[in-house]
Amino acid sequence: MALDRDFYKRLEDILGPENVSDDPVVTESYSFPIRKKTMPEKVTYIPRFEAVTLPSNTREVQAIVKLCNQQKVQYKASSTGWLYCDPVAPNCIKIDLRRMNRILEINEKGMYAAVEPYVIGAQLQSELMKRGLTCNQCGAGANCSVMPLASHVGLGHMSQSGSYTERNMLAVEWVTGDGEIVKLGSLGSHGDWFCGDGPGPSLRGIIRGNSTPLAGLGVFTAGAVKIYHWPGPAVFPVEGVCPQYRHPEMPPNFMIRYLSFKDIDVTIDAVKRVGEAEIGFTLMGFNAAMMASNIATDNQEDLDYLAKFASQVQGPGFLLIIVGNSANDFAYKKGALEEIMKETDAMSLKDVEDPVMGAGFLWRFVRITGSIRETSRATGWGGGTVGGSDVFPLMTRYILHTSNLKQQLIDQGLIMDDYIHPFIQSIEHGHTGHGEILIRYNPAGPDHIMKVQGMLSREANKTAIRGRFGVPHHVWSDALHDMYGPEAHNYHILLRKIKKNFDPNEASESSNYITAKE
Amino acid sequence: MALQDYREDMELCNKCNICKFIPLEKVAGYQPVNVCPSISRYNFHAYSGGGRMGIGVAMLENRLEYTDKLLDIIYNCQMCGACDVSCKYAMDMEVIEPIYETRIKAVEEGHTNPALDKVIGSLRKQGTMVPGARSKRGEWAAGLKVKDYTKEKVDVIYQVGCLTSYNKDMWKLAKATVKLLQKAGVDVGIAGNNETCCGGRAYQMGYKEDFLNQAKQNMAMIKKSGAKTLVTSCADGYQAFKVLYDKYELRGDLEVVHITEYLDRIIKEGNLKPKKKVGMTVTYHDPCYLGRLGEPWIHWQGKEVPGHIRVFEPYKEFRRGTYGVYEPPRDVIKSIPGLKMVEMVRIKEYAWCCGAGGGVNESNPEFSLWTADERIKEAEATGAEAIVTACPWCEQNFVKAIKETGSKLKVYDVVELVERAV
Repeated sequence: MALDRDFYKRLEDILGPENVSDDPVVTESYSFPIRKKTMPEKVTYIPRFEAVTLPSNTREVQAIVKLCNQQKVQYKASSTGWLYCDPVAPNCIKIDLRRMNRILEINEKGMYAAVEPYVIGAQLQSELMKRGLTCNQCGAGANCSVMPLASHVGLGHMSQSGSYTERNMLAVEWVTGDGEIVKLGSLGSHGDWFCGDGPGPSLRGIIRGNSTPLAGLGVFTAGAVKIYHWPGPAVFPVEGVCPQYRHPEMPPNFMIRYLSFKDIDVTIDAVKRVGEAEIGFTLMGFNAAMMASNIATDNQEDLDYLAKFASQVQGPGFLLIIVGNSANDFAYKKGALEEIMKETDAMSLKDVEDPVMGAGFLWRFVRITGSIRETSRATGWGGGTVGGSDVFPLMTRYILHTSNLKQQLIDQGLIMDDYIHPFIQSIEHGHTGHGEILIRYNPAGPDHIMKVQGMLSREANKTAIRGRFGVPHHVWSDALHDMYGPEAHNYHILLRKIKKNFDPNEASESSNYITAKE
Repeated sequence: MALQDYREDMELCNKCNICKFIPLEKVAGYQPVNVCPSISRYNFHAYSGGGRMGIGVAMLENRLEYTDKLLDIIYNCQMCGACDVSCKYAMDMEVIEPIYETRIKAVEEGHTNPALDKVIGSLRKQGTMVPGARSKRGEWAAGLKVKDYTKEKVDVIYQVGCLTSYNKDMWKLAKATVKLLQKAGVDVGIAGNNETCCGGRAYQMGYKEDFLNQAKQNMAMIKKSGAKTLVTSCADGYQAFKVLYDKYELRGDLEVVHITEYLDRIIKEGNLKPKKKVGMTVTYHDPCYLGRLGEPWIHWQGKEVPGHIRVFEPYKEFRRGTYGVYEPPRDVIKSIPGLKMVEMVRIKEYAWCCGAGGGVNESNPEFSLWTADERIKEAEATGAEAIVTACPWCEQNFVKAIKETGSKLKVYDVVELVERAV
C-alpha cells in the first residue's frame, strides 16, 4: 500500500527531504525479513514500513505523530531498536530516533542524567565514569539506548545495586499517541529532571505497565535516569586489538567471582545472604555457558571454555562483583563474602579469580559488551523468551519449573546442551528477582523454530498461570494480555483504557503492547 | 566466493547495531563513538553494515531492483571495514566480504557508477587509477639513480602506486622512499614507466575482473624479475599485493611489506638512524587498508558442522582486523627525536576512515570530504600540529579537507618525517 503523495510531501516539509524515505531499499532494511528460513511458512515475508522518518527533535516527532493521526496512518518509533520494532502490517511508517542522540544534562549533585533516546549505554556510562559516577544499563548491552523506557523493564547487570526501570526512570518527555507533549514528574512542574513522581504529574505507572509499551503508546523523546557512585577508574584500561583485548589489572577495591553451589536451594540462600549483607554491586545468576560465551572470542573457543568451566562448577551459580568505596569498605565486603562462601560451601571458578582474566570479565560485565556473544553468536538466533520479576525465590522457582521443558528440548536434540541451569538475577539486593531461560539453537526450519519457541512459550505461560507466578515480562500482544488478564485482576481492561485514552486514534502501532479492541 | 556464498553470514545479522559503533569496550566518552562513515552521514539503517546484510539477502531473493537508490547505497561506502571489526567483537560472521560481493555483483550485472567507470576506463587504457594523468608513470624518478627491476636484478621492489606516480605533489614521497632505502643500503629497484596499477582500488569499486587482470600482469613482471620482496608506500597497494593477491592465489611466496614496516625494520636493525630533531606534536591516522584490512588473508576450506552452534571443520579463523599493521608506523614515529605523538580516540582497528576509499573519492567527493573533515576535527582535538598517515590517498584527502575548512593542521606521510630526521 503506497503512501498518499500529499502525506509524504508533508513529511518532507516537516523533516526535510533527506530525512524521509519511502524507497523500498531503505524500508527493506528496517523490515527484517532476513533469516527467512527461520520463519513459519505464513510469515516468510514481513511487510516493509511505508516510509522511514528521521526526526531530530521533539517538535518534529510531534508533527509526524499529529500528521499520522490526521491521515489515519500508523507509526512505530524506535531508538537503537532490537526485535520488537519491526513492522507487522501495512499502512505504518517508521520513526527512527537515531538523530536524537544528545546527552541533555548530567547533574552530578542531583544524581541524574537526562538523555535523548539514541544515546547508547556505553556513551552515558563512559561520560559518567569520568565524573566518578555510573548508571544501570539494560542487560541487552551497551549498544542499546540508555533511556530506561526504551529497554525492556530496564534490567541490567547493575540491578543488584542499581535496580531497574521502575526505580531508575525519573522525569520523562512523552509525545502521546495523538501528539500531545506531556512532561512527567518534576519536568512537568519546573523543567528539572530529578523526579518521576512530582512535583509535576506522575504518570510513571501508566507509561510503564508490567513491562514497557514497546513503541505502542506514542514516542518517548527524552528521559532522565538515576545515576550512581562509581569508585572505579575514569577510563578502564584496555590493551590489545579487538577482539583480543587484554585488561592488565583489577582496579583497587574491586573483586569478581563466579560461585557455584550444590543445588538451587543453597544458591537461593547464598543470594539472600549476599543481599542482606548488601555487598554486591552486580549479582547475575549466569550459568557456566554464559561465562564461557562472555570470554570466548569465537564459537569454537566458546565450546572449549564451556567444557573447561563445566568441570569447575558444582551446580547452579552466580556472578558476583564486589566494589568497595574505600579500602575498609572493600575489606568488610570481602570478609562478608568469605563467610557466606564458607557457610554455603560455594565453589569459585578459578579462571575468574585470575587477576587478568578477572579484570576482563569485570569490564565486559560492567560495560555489558558480552550479551551478543552470549545470546546471538551461536547461530545468530538468540533464544530465551520467558521470565518475570517478583521476589527472588519465587522467580527462581518459576524458572526452574520451566527449565524442565528446556531439558526435554535438549533431550530431543532441538537446542544446545549448555548444562541447563537457568539464568536468574537478584534485584535491589535480593528484594526482587528476575529469571529467564536462555537457549541457543540452530533454527533449521519453520517447524523447528515453532517447536522450540512455541513449546517454550506455551509451557512458560502454563506454568506462570497455574503456579500463580504472576505476569511474566514476555507478555505483550492482545492474545497474551487477554490470556493473563482474567488471571490477574482483569488488568488488561485497564491497560486497554490507557491505550484508548492516550492514543484514541490507535495511531501508535501497538501489536507488541495492547490494542484498544475490546 | 560470490554473494550467495555469504548468504548464511548475512542471515546471521541480528540487527544489534554494534556495526555502527567503535568496539564498546573502547568507548571512552560521548563522542566520538561512531565508526561507519556511511551510516553516520546518511542515517538510514540501509547505509550501515547491518542494513547492507539485509539488502544483500533481498538482492539474492530478487526482492529489490537496481534503482538509483540501491546504487546510491551500494556505492556510498568507503569499504573501510570498520563495521566488520565491530561486528566480529561478538559475532562469527563475515560482513565486509559480502559488501564487496554486493558491489561485484552490481558491476557484473552492468549496474556501475559513471564516475567509477571513468576511473576504470583510465585503468584499462593507461594502467592507472588517476584519470587524465599526463606525465609518464616513471617521471618522478628523473635524476634519481635507482635501478629498473625490469632490466636488472634487485633484492627489493618499490611499487610506487598510481597516485604517487601521477600526482606531482606526491612525488616527494616516492623520492624520499627511494633515498631512505638507498641510504640504508637496500638494493632497491622500480619499474618506472613499466609499473602498472595494483588493481586494489578497482577491486574496492567492484571491478573484480579488472583487478585480476592487473594482478596477473604485476605478478608476471615480478616473477620475471626474481625479486623476493616488494615494498609499497600506499596502503591500498599494500593490501592488494599482500591480501587480495593471496586471496586469489596469485602472490606466491612474494614478501609484501609496507614502507612503514620496512623502515621500522631497518631502524631497529641500525641501518637507518633518525638523528635530527623534528620538534612537533603529531597524531597518527591508521589507513584502513594498512590497518584492519591489511591483516593477512586466511585460506580455509571446510564445512560448517551441523549443530546448535556455528563451528567449522576444520577450525575456521575469521579475519577480525586483529593482525593489521598498527605498531610499525607508530614505532617509526616514536624513533624520531623531538617528535611527540598523541593518539586520537578512534585508532588502530577502529580508526575512522579518511574518506577516500571504495571509489567514494571519485563518485561522491562531498561525502569523501565530509568523512575526512570528521577525522581532521578529531585530530585537532588532540592538540597535535600535524596528522601523519601512511597512504597517499589519505594524505590527499586530508589536504583537500583542510583546504576547504581552513584548518591549520599540517599533513605528513611517515616517510617524510623520517626523511627530515635522517
